[in-house]
This record gives sequence, structure tokens and C-alpha cells, in this order.
Amino acid sequence: MKRRAFFTSFAGKPPDEQFKPARGSPGPAIFTNALLRTHEDKQVRFYDDLIRGRHVLINLMYADCHGACPVVTERLLKVYSELKDRMGKNLFLYSMTVKPEDDDPAALKNYAEMHRAYGLPGWTFLTGDPYDMETIRFNLFRMDHIAIDLDIYAHTSTLKIINDGTNRWLHVDPMASFSTILRKISWADPPKSFAEKLEANKKLQERINKEKKLWGYRKDS
Amino acid sequence: MSGPRDKEKRPEEPKSEKEKHFELSRMSRRKMLKLTGAAGAGTILAPMILTSRKSTVYAQGTVAEPQLCPATPVPQSPPHTPFVDDLPVPSPAIPQFLSPAPTKAANTTNGEAARDDHQRWEEFTPAVTYQLEARAGTHQFHRDYLPSYGWGFNGQYPGPTVLNAYGVPSLVRFKNSLPDPTQSFGTPQTTVHLHNGHTGSESDGFAGDFFDSGLFKDNHYANAYAGIDDFGGFPKGDPREAMHTFWYHDHLMAETQNNNYLGMNGVYLVYDQTDPPWEFSTPGSLRLPSYYGVTDFPLVFLRQRFCPTDTTTGRTEKFQVVGAGAPGTDKVSVTGKIQPKLSVRRRKYRFRMINTGVAALMSLNLVGPDGLQKPMTVVAVDGNFLHTPGVVSATSGFPQLDIHVASRFDVVIDFSQFAVGQSAYLREVGTPQFVSSPTPPDPAPGLPIGNVLMRFDIIGNAIIPDTPPIPDTLVELPPIPPAGTYFEWGFRNIAGNNPPGNFRVTHSAIPENDANHDATFLPFDPFRIDHVVLKGSSETWAIRNDTMLGNWLHPVHIHLEEGRMIEKTICSVPNADGCNPANRTPVAMPPWEDGNNARRDVYPTQGQERFVIRLKFRDFVGRYLIHCHNMGHEDAFMMVRWDVVEDLATLRRTREKINAERVARGDTPLYRKEDMG
Repeated sequence: MKRRAFFTSFAGKPPDEQFKPARGSPGPAIFTNALLRTHEDKQVRFYDDLIRGRHVLINLMYADCHGACPVVTERLLKVYSELKDRMGKNLFLYSMTVKPEDDDPAALKNYAEMHRAYGLPGWTFLTGDPYDMETIRFNLFRMDHIAIDLDIYAHTSTLKIINDGTNRWLHVDPMASFSTILRKISWADPPKSFAEKLEANKKLQERINKEKKLWGYRKDS
Repeated sequence: MSGPRDKEKRPEEPKSEKEKHFELSRMSRRKMLKLTGAAGAGTILAPMILTSRKSTVYAQGTVAEPQLCPATPVPQSPPHTPFVDDLPVPSPAIPQFLSPAPTKAANTTNGEAARDDHQRWEEFTPAVTYQLEARAGTHQFHRDYLPSYGWGFNGQYPGPTVLNAYGVPSLVRFKNSLPDPTQSFGTPQTTVHLHNGHTGSESDGFAGDFFDSGLFKDNHYANAYAGIDDFGGFPKGDPREAMHTFWYHDHLMAETQNNNYLGMNGVYLVYDQTDPPWEFSTPGSLRLPSYYGVTDFPLVFLRQRFCPTDTTTGRTEKFQVVGAGAPGTDKVSVTGKIQPKLSVRRRKYRFRMINTGVAALMSLNLVGPDGLQKPMTVVAVDGNFLHTPGVVSATSGFPQLDIHVASRFDVVIDFSQFAVGQSAYLREVGTPQFVSSPTPPDPAPGLPIGNVLMRFDIIGNAIIPDTPPIPDTLVELPPIPPAGTYFEWGFRNIAGNNPPGNFRVTHSAIPENDANHDATFLPFDPFRIDHVVLKGSSETWAIRNDTMLGNWLHPVHIHLEEGRMIEKTICSVPNADGCNPANRTPVAMPPWEDGNNARRDVYPTQGQERFVIRLKFRDFVGRYLIHCHNMGHEDAFMMVRWDVVEDLATLRRTREKINAERVARGDTPLYRKEDMG
């Protein structure tokens, strides 16, 4: 009930309408509906509370990570600030630990605070039962390559972009340029109208013409 | 079909545009007839008339979106009966006049995707135009299966085969009518690359040049040999640069794998005097088996896995591990059918083998009814004729033909070595595909049924007279380009998490100098230039794979130009951080790799191997790509943009900019003073 009130407070629509899963959504069969804990030590159902009908970004991390995770988190922070207006409303970011046995909610909270990612609406750090976390990691991040799939660190550099409302599944490297990341996130947005596409296309043409002027990339025979 | 096509309303084109279009079409017809001369358009169309079998066309009308089947546990594909379907032949694309008429500048007001102006448009006014519409449809991969949902050009898998001739410039309008939104695992943006067309950048299907559903894009193909600037004549360019077997495919940044797996590719053949679409003697003709669909078949390989057949939806859907990389596959389709059969006569046939991936290598050979390996002759690689044909047989030293993703091999098989009533088999050496349970008996002694890709049934003596023996020397190759500026590309798999990343390309202008390879391991960015070359110049490029031997193999593909491999070495003391030059040991190259005998556009590089190739950049400028053609790697951004520029000033300006950008992100400068041109 409390959760429902929380969502309706900013959406103005009942949650069922705002976050409606796509007809082809695989639902809990793929995502699982595991009971997880957030960095604020709240219990959540993975599919029902976090994924269902939503446009989400998911990355893997662990608190005691000194390689990719801080760099990736740093980049995600920039992506977050870029999409601030949408975060927590129609876009959510989940950072899931690959070492749930080490990372309890307090450790995640500590990590979030350390990276200035604490208290940002729409950004949730998640831990849970190691079996559940492993299942989710396999279902969402599997590459079908045994060396990569059994190495828990290997996926820390993938950002999954999933929109359960349109059943769009994409991924992007968080080290890619911001324009690439934002573009890929926008591919999972609800489809645009043809007029909007034409308008965007026209703008792109203007940019191409500008680039051409700058670099002279053309041979007119 | 439900979706954007119905909703979209294109603004009415102005009347003058229509008139222009008519004028253009009249001119094109005249020009085409004039250009093609006596052996003209009629003969080019001949193979279309001769085509007896057409590939299954996707069902028209509304196509229900697929429902993904559970991914855990990974399902086994439904069983199938071997050798019941005939090998399909993709139907030829039919030339058509386009409305609105194609224009040099992008016709954005009428819904064309934004692009640069077409290069050499007046020089190569399109004489023949096609429309290939990417849309959803269903395709039945086997008699025992129900149709599978897929995306194809003109709703067909593989897409229509475009049959062209050198000297007849063509334009293909790629219309994006993919469903948006979609429930499938594809992404409804597209950009189409003609692999490996000598094409202006704006028509090359650059990965970042994707366009939305509802728009279209005109790709202009000059169908001229490389070297247009240096060679006059007709057709323009250096005839020794001829390529004949191409394929076109989706090249969408980061989603190439899924879109290709859904079926977005097709074959594109270009004929000329050396390789005409007929077999009788004409000046300069090699007289290879060449009647499309009669004695000349494309074999488009695709590894797949299927969901269990669902009778309520009426589908046997393609399986995709949701949101992840390539699915572990257990079926191989040949031109859209699983384990097909082909009736042949006792004469020579030509097979244009294309591995469309999406990730794994195909190792093939021919097996006779006695279970022994039989010879087959490789006449062309990556669309280029070999100087001396290579033989794949038990005694030639090449017992199998390795076809890496995106590679093409033109193989001639002489079926007169078999008796009428016998069968021969195309075997894939490797993990057998799943057929049915229990496994059917071996079709030939020692040949597991799962390793057979297709069966050839010898049904009688030749009716169309056999072609003469394959000449010992097929063609004279153009000279290997002179040594130019050195540039090295490192294909790396960064397994750890510091620096973060996985499949990356690094670059250096100094040979074997790891310090100069960039340390930031940046992924592909369509807006970042990583190397720039001068139009008309030649360079020496090295491609090295720094993963350990037996780990990843990277079939590296370079757009725009064919290259010549002049050296292949392997590191005798394996080192994932770069090889000590003293440890580089030469490796012998098969006839289809050696630069003195072959021209390539896909360079299969094993772990710890390094190729040195020579390239010359001609005729067109703009943005091009070098990338690993394992589509999973390509999507993980093992891809780099490099540019061709027109003049020295721009080259210097761009190289200085690249240096400055590298220094700004903490790397060493890429180019030395002497590299500045």
C-alpha cells in the first residue's frame, strides 16, 4: 500500500496504468520475482516492484571493487545527471551486487555514499540471496561463453537497458561516449510518432551539413 | 502488416519532381541499353528466367509478433527429418522505378534518412534502381517446423539477390518498415552495408548512420572497379580489382547480431566480362558455372536455435537468450532451410558460400557416398578470384575450408566424379547439430548425420553442357600496393575489470610498440575518428590479436578496400600484452590468404597472430570502419571508425586533432612528426 502511494504521488496515474508490461514481456519467468534488499534495507520483489512495465538500466558491481566499478559508477552518475528529470519517474537505475555474500545493505549504502550516489531518486542498489542474484545475473547478462559467464567480474562493464513496457532489451558499454549511451537508452523509449522522427531526421541532416562545412568531407564531381 | 507503414503519410511530392523522375527513367533505360551493348540487359536478366526454384516468401499482411520462450533451461530445437526440403534459391530483386526519384542530396522532406550527398553521382548516374523493404514476416526453416518470426528484405529470408553488372551503376532504396514497437529481440533501426562494396561513405552503411522505421535511405552503388581515378575505360576502374560475390546486411551499431539473426541480409552479385552470367564462350570469360539458380547457387549459412513448436501461436520461433549474446546454436540453415537437398547433374556447379554468422566459424568439406573426402576447388575468396585456384581435399594439405563470419568462398564442385543415383554431402567439421532423437543412422560410412549441412543428389547426366576444366591461372591480380605509413590495430579481449571493457581495438603508428597503443581502451564511438588516411595513398596495416591462442578468433573486416596479406606471424612466446618482436614466427598462408594469390576483406586472425596487409584507399572519401565481424564482438564495440580525406591539409588537421584528443585523455600522441604527411 505504501509503495502504491509512493508511485501514485508523482505519476498521477494508478501504477497499473503507468507501468503496464508489454504483451510479450517474459515477466518473472526470466527476471525472477526474487525477494531482494535495497541499500536502504527495504524488501522488494524484483519483477513486481522494480521491473514490471518500467524502463530500467541495470549494472553489476560490488562494494569492494577497485577496478571497473568506481569508474563505471562515475560514468553512471554523469548519465544520471543528464537524465535527472526522468529518473525515478519513467526511468530507473539498479546497481546489483555480484558478491551478495559480502555486500549487505549497509555496505551498499556505504558504497553509494562514497560515490555520491546516495539519496538520488530512482537509483537503487540491490543485494539478496546469492542464489537469486546469480540467477538474475545469468538470465539477464549471460553471453553463452563459459569463460565470461562463470567470471563474475566480466559483466561489470555492461549496462543493460530494458523496457518491460515495450519489451525492449538492449545493452551498452558504460565506457562508450555519452551520446552513444543516451542514444541507446532512447531506443528503449516508447516509439516516437512519424512526425517526430522526420523532425529528428531533419535536425540530423543539418548537423551533417555543418560537419561537412567544418571538415570538407565531400567530393562534388 | 500492422505498423508504421500504414500510419505513415508521405507528403505529396511536387509535380516537377515526378516529371524529372520520368525523364530520368527514360534516360536510364536508354543509357543502360547503350552501355551494356550487344550482350546487354536481356542477357543480364537471363538467369532470372532460368531460375526454377524461388525461396519461400514471407507471409504478407499482418504478422503477429513473436512470444519469447523461457530461456532457462535453454530449450533444445525441435527435431527435424534430414534432406526433405529442396535448397531454396533467393529470388532475384526486380528493378523498379522509384518514387520519389532518387536525388543526390538526401530527400529529407519526403522521408529519406539524413546523409551526405552521394559522391560521384553525375559520373555514375544510377541506371537501374531497386527497392528493398525491411519488414517483419515469417519463414519456415523446415518442413517439420511451423513458420518462425523474422525480419527480412522484402519480407524474404534471405533477401532478394541483386544481380548487377559492372558498368551499370545501381541504386538500392532501403526502406525501413520494421515494426516499432516490436516484441521481438531485434531493434527496428537499420543501416545497410554492402559487404564489401567500393562505395561512398554515405552509401556504405556506416554503423552510426542508422535510420528510424518509416524512413528510407538510398544507397548508391557505382558498380565500378576500384581505381576509378587512375583508370579510364569502360567499365571504369581497374578490371583486375573486380569483385563478384557480395552480401548486404544490417550493420546497426551495437545490435547487428540480433538483426542479422532475425534475417536481415541477402546476396548481391556483380557480373562482368571475366565472370558473366552465362557459360558459353565470350571474350575474356573464365567460363565457370554461372547460371544463377541452375548451376550457380548461393549457400547462406546461419547457425540458429529454435523454441519448441507452439501450435497455439502456429510458430516455431527462433530462440534468443533474452538480452544476452549469441545463443548456443544447434541447427544450421543453408539459404533458409535446415539440412536441405539439391538435385544436381554430372557436371560442374558453383556454390557461393557465405557465413552469415552470427558468431562461429564454419569448417567445410565434401564427402562422397563411400564416406571418403572428395575434392572441391576454391576459385574465389571474399568475392575476389584467386590467381591460382586452391583445392580442398584429403591430399591437398587443406582438408577443410574455414569460412569465418562474413567471409565468402566461391567453390566449384565437379559432380561428374559421382555416378547417377549417388549422393554427396557437405560436411561441417565440428560439433554436430541436433537432428532428432534417437540420432538417425550415418548417411555415409563414418559421417555422423549431425555434421552434414546438405546433401547433393546426382540425378542424371548433364543437360546444359559442362564447362571446360577450371584454368590453372584464373586472373592476373593487380600489383600489391607499395609500402606506406605503418599503422597497427590491436584486437584485444580485456577480461579483467581494470581498465573496464571487454572487446576493444587499440591502435598505434609505431610497429610493435605497446607504449604507443592507447591505454584507455575506448569503445567504438561513431563521432570519434581513430585513424585518418589520404585518398589515393597506400598504407601498411598490421592486425594483431592479443588474446591467447585457442581463445577468441577475430575475423577482422575492413570496409571500402580489398587488402593483400603479405605476412602472417604467430607469437612463439604467448603474451597477452603484446608480443616481443623477436618472438614473431612466420606462419604459412593458404592460397586463399596469401597476398600474391588472393585479395581479402575479412582477415581471420587467431589468438597471438598478426597479419601485415597492404591497402590503397581510392576514389571515395568519408567515414569507414574496421571491426571484428563476430557480431557479438562488433556489438560490444570491437569496432573503430577511420576516415579517408581528400587533401593533405585536412589529413594533417585531422591527425593533429586525433593527437590532441589522445593527449587530453592521458595517452601518448598517435602520430609522430613524420606521419603528418
